[in-house]
Amino acid sequence: MSTKLAINLHKLARFTNTAIPIFTLLSFLAGWRISFYFHFLTVPMIGLTLINYYYLFAQRNHSLLRNFGILGQGRYMLESLGPELRQYLYSGDTEERPFNRTERAEVYRKANNVDSASSFGSQNDFDATEVKLRHSLFPISKENLLPYRLTFGEERGIQKTYTLTVPFIISGMSYGALGKSAIRSLARGIAQTGGLMNTGEGGYPKYHLMENCDLAFQIGTAKFGVRQEDGTLDDQRLADLAAKDQVRLIELKLSQGAKPGKGGMLPKEKITAEISELRGVPMGQDVVSPTHHPECEDYHSTVAFIRRIQEVSHLPVGIKLCMGDPRQFAELVAEMKRQDSFPDWITIDGAEGGTGAAPKAFIDRVGMPLFPALKSAQDALVSAGVRQRLKLVASGKLINPGSQIIAFCLGADAIATARGFMLSIGCIQAMQCGSNTCPVGITSHNPKLERGIDIADKALRVANYVHSLEHDLDELLCAAGARCVRELSFDHLYVPNETLLYPFAHRI
Amino acid sequence: MKSPKLKILSWIAQFAAAAIMGQTLYFKFAAHPESVQLFTELGMEPHGRLLIGAFELIACVLLLIPSSIVYGALLGACLMAGAIIGHITELGWEGPRLQLGSLAIAVFACCITTLIIRRRELPLLKAIQTEKPTKRARPKD
Ligand SMILES: Cc1cc2nc3c(=O)[nH]c(=O)nc-3n(C[C@H](O)[C@H](O)[C@H](O)COP(=O)(O)O)c2cc1C
Repeated sequence: MSTKLAINLHKLARFTNTAIPIFTLLSFLAGWRISFYFHFLTVPMIGLTLINYYYLFAQRNHSLLRNFGILGQGRYMLESLGPELRQYLYSGDTEERPFNRTERAEVYRKANNVDSASSFGSQNDFDATEVKLRHSLFPISKENLLPYRLTFGEERGIQKTYTLTVPFIISGMSYGALGKSAIRSLARGIAQTGGLMNTGEGGYPKYHLMENCDLAFQIGTAKFGVRQEDGTLDDQRLADLAAKDQVRLIELKLSQGAKPGKGGMLPKEKITAEISELRGVPMGQDVVSPTHHPECEDYHSTVAFIRRIQEVSHLPVGIKLCMGDPRQFAELVAEMKRQDSFPDWITIDGAEGGTGAAPKAFIDRVGMPLFPALKSAQDALVSAGVRQRLKLVASGKLINPGSQIIAFCLGADAIATARGFMLSIGCIQAMQCGSNTCPVGITSHNPKLERGIDIADKALRVANYVHSLEHDLDELLCAAGARCVRELSFDHLYVPNETLLYPFAHRI
Repeated sequence: MKSPKLKILSWIAQFAAAAIMGQTLYFKFAAHPESVQLFTELGMEPHGRLLIGAFELIACVLLLIPSSIVYGALLGACLMAGAIIGHITELGWEGPRLQLGSLAIAVFACCITTLIIRRRELPLLKAIQTEKPTKRARPKD
């Protein structure tokens, strides 16, 4: 005999299924004989009975409803409430993914210019899984820091070099993935700081251009905006774009962390008439970019193609990739050396990177995480003796100073983040970027949702976020005893044995 | 999802339902003798008359606001089901009652039509329906 005090759901369901029609009949009789008011009950009960029979006998989609009827619906209702309940009530501050509440709260505080000091102690782990910065026994003071400057293109001695003075770049997000208000907020905000914004692969950057910020124009595998009929590069259109004052850099996207080896994706829900025109794609069907550039078939052609873009655009040209096999990366670097032709920078995007839309398997399982990938890239460049020929940019969940400083130690010259800036303009991590239903209107083209974004206000938040990040970076540099990020090195990191970086560490 | 034709049909049904329900409201709220007579027979004078009138007013309004159409249709269908029950059990179908009864049935039908066309908007009954299996090319040999 079971002594459990559990409710037997099978019996309860059977009871409900019998009780509903009986109760309906009773209330009908009461309405007929006692008072017509009872029919206020009869009518809904008839409805309930019909729905129950529909669940039990007519629909074939849900086995649970076929077996248990209306009670089974309770399970679906509870399940659909689950994410909200967990997010608001039950999940701990360090539990959520991709960004937990502590991480998000730090961005929100920075964006609102609220002091981000915490009290009593850290919520993080101090076990073998956490990389920490080794501070110096002799910290320096802020006056001794060198101002941040990074000049793209100086290695090739070109005329139109670009000097970055804000180490935090808004990583590529296209008009299409983001709505126009979000893009204009980001652009206006970064313009206020004098920083750089990447256009993403959305074709002609109409809205990015509106706010007078410096832009890196991205060429995705579909080459939106600079494509010929056959999918290859249209030199003339690229040259025209590159001639614009605001377009300071060109980035060739080979792959992206959230979907390496797969082209960009724009779900049909998000393709408005304007986007279909800017990208030159049809409406009403998902747009999936090719997996690779037709010009980049092997190491040789890839390096040659980068050089061609440099020659056509007369601008600094970089590539963005997610690391798959470091040996292939080393081979690519070797080919660059052979042809004596380098991109002006390489962006290493970690597999943890974000996206508007990508297949789950790619988001979850493809590509190397940022830290080991970045370290491998740095090592490959150093051992080939060409580290000084180009810059390294890192991206992949680098939204807080604590993780950014690690990337700098691993060799990054600048940081790019997409979701950090999205959070700064009010993203609540509702995870609906692909469905045009973003509740805060950042990744939606629905005017009713975009209405939530006040561009002037959000721009201010972007600027605040950047300034707070710079402030914290300065303090961390002082603590590490380094005058600029270039003086940071792997030796500044404490790398315990359960971290991804441990294989690269020589001492603990 | 919905074809434009179905959408137009739904709007016609909504307007018809709202119009018919709406024009009886006057008689209910103005305590027209015939209406009072009806509700006296049902044993609901006067509160029931006013209550049902209020519900019908709400249903009419909901039926015409795009985001609440299904709820208006649901409420309307319930009220009309009640009216039909009334005719079956108490009021009968003789003389002018026949006309009233058939109007109730007509409104009921309109509401049900609207509900069927817009069933996807209901919070219940959401089945993930794909009737067609997906296709994938296979090599032929
Ligand atoms: C909404 C959204 C849209 C994106 N669109 C692009 C894109 O068009 N091109 C691209 O190279 N990366 C795109 N990304 C990836 C980001 O540029 C970035 O590489 C990645 O999110 C990692 O940075 P994070 O972790 O700081 O967000 C997108 C990311 C998001 C969240």
